Amino acid sequence: MNNVILEKTTRLFLKVMAIISLYLLFRGHNSPGGGFIGGIVLATGFIFYGIVFGSNEIKKIIRFNSRTWMGIGLSLVILAAVIPLFFGEEPLTGIWYEGLWPLLGTVHLGTPLIFDTGIYVGVAGLILSVIITIMEVLEWNT
Amino acid sequence: MILFTLILLPFSYLMLGLLLKRPKIKRQLALVFASANLVWTLVVLKSVNLQDIIVVNMGSWPAPYGISLVADRFSAFMLLLAAFVFLLVTVYSTQSLDKERRKNGYFFYSFGILLGVNGSFIAGDIFNLYVWFEVMLISSFILMGLGGERKQLEGSIKYLILNLIGSMFFVAGIGLLYGKIGSLNMADISYKMSLAKENLAALNPALILIFVGFAIKGALFPFFFWLPASYHTPPPAITALFAGLLTKVGIYSMIRIFTLFLYHDFEFWSRLVLWMGALSMVVGVIAASSQSDFRKILSFHIISQAGYMLIALGFFTEAGIAAAIFFIAHNMLSKTNAFLVAGWVHREKRSLNLKILGNMFQKSPVWGVVFFISAFSLAGLPPLSGFFGKYMVLKAGIEANQIFISMIALFVGLITLFSMVKIWLEVFWKLPPSDKRLPKDTEAKPANRMLAASLFMAAAIIGMGLFAEPIGEYCSLAARDLLNPSKYINYVLAIN
Repeated sequence: MNNVILEKTTRLFLKVMAIISLYLLFRGHNSPGGGFIGGIVLATGFIFYGIVFGSNEIKKIIRFNSRTWMGIGLSLVILAAVIPLFFGEEPLTGIWYEGLWPLLGTVHLGTPLIFDTGIYVGVAGLILSVIITIMEVLEWNT
Repeated sequence: MILFTLILLPFSYLMLGLLLKRPKIKRQLALVFASANLVWTLVVLKSVNLQDIIVVNMGSWPAPYGISLVADRFSAFMLLLAAFVFLLVTVYSTQSLDKERRKNGYFFYSFGILLGVNGSFIAGDIFNLYVWFEVMLISSFILMGLGGERKQLEGSIKYLILNLIGSMFFVAGIGLLYGKIGSLNMADISYKMSLAKENLAALNPALILIFVGFAIKGALFPFFFWLPASYHTPPPAITALFAGLLTKVGIYSMIRIFTLFLYHDFEFWSRLVLWMGALSMVVGVIAASSQSDFRKILSFHIISQAGYMLIALGFFTEAGIAAAIFFIAHNMLSKTNAFLVAGWVHREKRSLNLKILGNMFQKSPVWGVVFFISAFSLAGLPPLSGFFGKYMVLKAGIEANQIFISMIALFVGLITLFSMVKIWLEVFWKLPPSDKRLPKDTEAKPANRMLAASLFMAAAIIGMGLFAEPIGEYCSLAARDLLNPSKYINYVLAIN
């Protein structure tokens, strides 16, 4: 498939989806949003990219194997579950940090963000490995 | 923290299994993590013995609102046995399974099963229990189909569909129950049920759905069809893992909800449980005696033995529940070991058809003795664990004035003995028939790790028979806690 308009649009679409997914990720916890939906939105961008350019191109831009991304996601989740133990709390308790940063103003960060990021990466990795496997079986665009 | 580690260990293995590349490291890590899990369950058992019930509230949310993990003596004992069975099956599978399956994630998904099993045993929240069931089932779906042989896929479709229907019943029941009671924490539901004495009939639709869900998972009459249709299809090591862990989680959950929810309407439920158990025993054992495949006979016996656990629960006395706990433990060991021996026979002869096998005892007397121990423990010969299990069940039944049901159990024990003698004679004793086409011996492959795992299991069966008294004592303590749900409620909800 050689269609300049389609290729340009898809590249743009991937970037837009990535930004929306990050927005959804950071919005999470207090408002609708969060890691799961963010991960799905990010994966949607990659799926469109793959449909147009083929699965090898997805593999190039995600750098690691998609399974590795799932592993990274799970390790972030474990990290978020274990950190509270060092503060003498039950596992998975939210540990919050609040501080005044230059430019950003008041910053309110906590372990739920790590957990959500883990879910975000893990879900995106899972969907990508499913899609890449299906594309390889179908020999889509190779 | 102490209970959380039980989830963290298999979960960390899943993480490492995704991040690491080399199959050899993954295999060694699997052994390390399985051993660590066994050690940790011992720690849990020890501290449960000191504190009676351990409660951990995830994320520091107090009990009826957050998700609690709860371990009492019953869960701790089940955790220990599951960890023991899992470790030995993992050791066994490093040699028994073919390289292709080991490389393609056997260990990964088997740890998924361990994660689900550990989680189910310590779940204090009924929706959480459902989630752990799903974790376990999804891993088992994949293991059932791993390798993609034609026969295997046929078995896994039946397994998948019937178990998904079971999950659907379970989750629908939870939904209805939540609508009526407004809580998901098992202790809280039990507490609210004890307050609303007169409106309990309104809860029965929900409880029936949950009960049917567990009956499907536990392969009880009349919901057992998925088990004999699928358990003989995957490689024997995988069947051994399933037989040791999966149905027992269904029975565990049945005991848990019976002692927390169902006992409020005792008249109705105890009769249902007793007759379901009795029918499972009879139907399972009669169906087994007509089979001529090693693993199919054992699969039908799983159903029959689940019946024993259920009738012991239905007696609902301290001795009865202690007998049920003892029987589950005995069955996990003996049944898994019988499947492990089936795995060795399959490896030697590439067949498990009783008609064309024979004379295996001459080939390896040690394996013969191992099979003898586990099969005759299932049949209930002293001094093996099965004898004490059956003895406790029968004694509890007679004490509870359920003479008829106890007689059925006795009679079923006789047919079990017949089936086990049949396997013993056909596979190990008789000379192979000369006129039929014989399965050729496969080239000699080492089986030392398989044998070691199986020998450990056999030693545990004998040990459980020899130390039946202290173990029975422990089971009675566990049963006493189960029969006193207000203690569980007080611990979980932190009411004093």
